[in-house]
Amino acid sequence: MKILAEINHLFKTYDRGGWLFGKKETKTVLQDVTLHLGEREIVGLVGESGCGKTTLAKVLLGLEPYQRGSVKVNGAELNRLSKADFKRLRRQVQVVFQDPYSSLEPRMTVRQILAEPWDIHGLHKDKAEREQALTALVRAVGLDPLHLNRYPHEFSGGQRQRIAIARALALEPQLLVADEPVSALDVSVQAQILNLLKDISRQRALSMLFISHDFAVARFLCDRIAVMYKGRILEAAPTEELLSNPQHPYTEALLSAVPVPDPKVQKQREPVTHKADAKRRQGPCPYAARCRYYRQEDCAAPQPAPLQDNGHFCACVRMPFKKEKSRYAV
Amino acid sequence: MNNRIFKRILQNKASLTGFVLVACFALVALLAPVLAPVHNPHNPYQLPQSSYNVTPQPPSAEHIFGTTEQQYDLYYGVVWGTRLAFKIGITVTFFAFLIGLLLGAAAAYFGGYIDEIIMRFTDVVFAVPSLVLAMVIAAMLGPDIKNMMIALTAVAWPSYARLVRGDVLSVKRRDFVTASRALGARGPRLLLKHILPNSIYPSVVVASLDIGYIVLTAASLSFLGLGAQPGTADWGQLIAMARNWVLGSGTDAFAYWYTVVVPGGVIFLFVLGWNLLGDGFRDILDPRQG
Repeated sequence: MKILAEINHLFKTYDRGGWLFGKKETKTVLQDVTLHLGEREIVGLVGESGCGKTTLAKVLLGLEPYQRGSVKVNGAELNRLSKADFKRLRRQVQVVFQDPYSSLEPRMTVRQILAEPWDIHGLHKDKAEREQALTALVRAVGLDPLHLNRYPHEFSGGQRQRIAIARALALEPQLLVADEPVSALDVSVQAQILNLLKDISRQRALSMLFISHDFAVARFLCDRIAVMYKGRILEAAPTEELLSNPQHPYTEALLSAVPVPDPKVQKQREPVTHKADAKRRQGPCPYAARCRYYRQEDCAAPQPAPLQDNGHFCACVRMPFKKEKSRYAV
Repeated sequence: MNNRIFKRILQNKASLTGFVLVACFALVALLAPVLAPVHNPHNPYQLPQSSYNVTPQPPSAEHIFGTTEQQYDLYYGVVWGTRLAFKIGITVTFFAFLIGLLLGAAAAYFGGYIDEIIMRFTDVVFAVPSLVLAMVIAAMLGPDIKNMMIALTAVAWPSYARLVRGDVLSVKRRDFVTASRALGARGPRLLLKHILPNSIYPSVVVASLDIGYIVLTAASLSFLGLGAQPGTADWGQLIAMARNWVLGSGTDAFAYWYTVVVPGGVIFLFVLGWNLLGDGFRDILDPRQG
C-alpha cells in the first residue's frame, strides 16, 4: 500500500502568556506522534476529549504549525510549504467538522458555500459547467439541486453535515479529515452519514482520518484504529485486531466502558477504573497514574522503543499480558 | 431577515415610539428648506435675526416658538438644528464606527504585538473622561462644528474597537472560518467575507444608541462654547444663548421658559428616540430571545 500521509515523531506545544506581564507557559499537546495513512485507507483516531485528536487533525490540515517531527502529505513536508504549495495542499486534504451548525457560514446559500472553494482556486469558471458540477456535487451527498438556493438554517443537522461533506469534496481531495463528523447528530442520522462517508470514500478512492470517541462508529468505518491519550498514541492496530485483542491498559479501560446491548452480559462486566495516583505522574508513561497494571520497576524506567507485532503497535512496556484482557473485547 | 427586524420594531411599543420619533426628526431634517425657508443662502445654518434687542420674545404669530437672546428665531433654530444634529450624529458615529472597526478587527485578527499596542492605546483613551478629552481636543483645534466633530470622533471610537475586537476573536475561532481556511482562503477574504459580516451586529446596536449620545455631547460642547459659533442653528448653541434667561425675570421665574424648553425638549426627544430604537435593535438581535 502506498503511503499518502505520514506523521513521524511529531511534537506540538502551545505557548501562553509571556509578553509584558506573566510568565511564559508551554503546554505540550502532541508528543512523539507517529501515524501513517495509506492510500484508500481509513484510519480511526480514538481518545477522550482533550487528548489532542483535533490538534492532530489541524496539523495534518496544515492549519497549525508544529515544533518538532515531520508531517508529510504526498512526500511534501507541511511546515516548509511555500504559499503556492500550501494552496495545492488544500486540494489534497480537506476537512469535515463535528458541529454542522457552526461549520457552515450562516449568511451564505448552499450554492455560495459549495462554490467558494472553486472561487478560491479558480475552478469551474464557466457558468454552465459550474452549474453541472454543483448538481453533481449535491447529488453525490444525497441532496437535491433544489436545495442550492437555501440557507444552512433551513436544513436539519444531518442535511447540514451532508453540505459540509459536499464542500469538502468540491476540490476532489485525496485525504479527508473527519473530526467527529457524527457525534453531534442523532443516532438515526449518524448511520446515514456514516454510510455516506463509507460509500464516498470507496467511490472516490479517498483516504480518511476519522476522529471519534466512539468505538462502535470507528469499527463500522475504519480499517485501522489508533488510540490516543494525553497527546500520545498508545496503541494502533487493524480494527478487528484492536477490538478483539487490546494490548494497552488504556485501550482495555476504554473498551470496558463501551456498553453492550445484552443486559445480562452488561451486568457482569465491570468497567476498568483506577483512582489516579499523582505520585506516578513523573514517569515516562502518560497513563501510569491510572493504570491498574502499574509496576514501579517497569513503568518508572526509561521506556524502550514501542513494541510492534504484525501491524499491532503498543506503547506499554508491560505488554504482553494477554490472559486477563480478552474479557473486555467487543 | 431585515424585514423581520423591521416587523419586530413595529410590534414593540417602546421601539415603535423610538422609530416614530426618529422618523419625524428625519422628516423635519429632510424638509428643512420647506419648513423654514433659508434666510442666508450662503449659510443655511445661520439663524435669522429680526433685531438686536437682547430680551427674548415669547411665541407669536411671526415666531411660533418665540425668539431667544438677540432675537434669533427659535423655530428656525429647531428645524435647521435637526438637520445639523443628524449631520453631526451620523457623521461622527460613522467615522467612530469605521475607525473602531478597522483597529478592533486588526487587533483581533493579527493578535500578538499589534493587538497589545492597539488595545493599550484604546485603554488610554478610555481612561480619560470622554467629555473632558473632547473639550481638550475641541479647544486645541478651535471652536468650529467640523473641529467639534473631529473631537467627538476621537473619543467615540474606542468602544467600537473593543466591541469589534471581542466579536472578531470569537467569530475567528468558529468552524466555518477554519473550514474556509482549510479550503485555501487567505486573510482579506476571510476577514471581509466571513469574519466581519458575522461580527458587526453588536456594534450596529451600539451605533444606534450612540447617535443620540453624540448629539447630546455635541450640545454640551456647543453650550461650553467649543462647538458651533453664536448664531448657528445648533441645539446646544440655542441652549447656550438661554443661559442668561434660565432664572426668568425678577418677578416671574417662568418669564422666558421657551428659551430653555424649546431646544431642551427637542434634544430630549431626539436622544430618547434613538435610545428607544437602539434598545429595540438590541432586544431583537439578542439570540436569547428567539
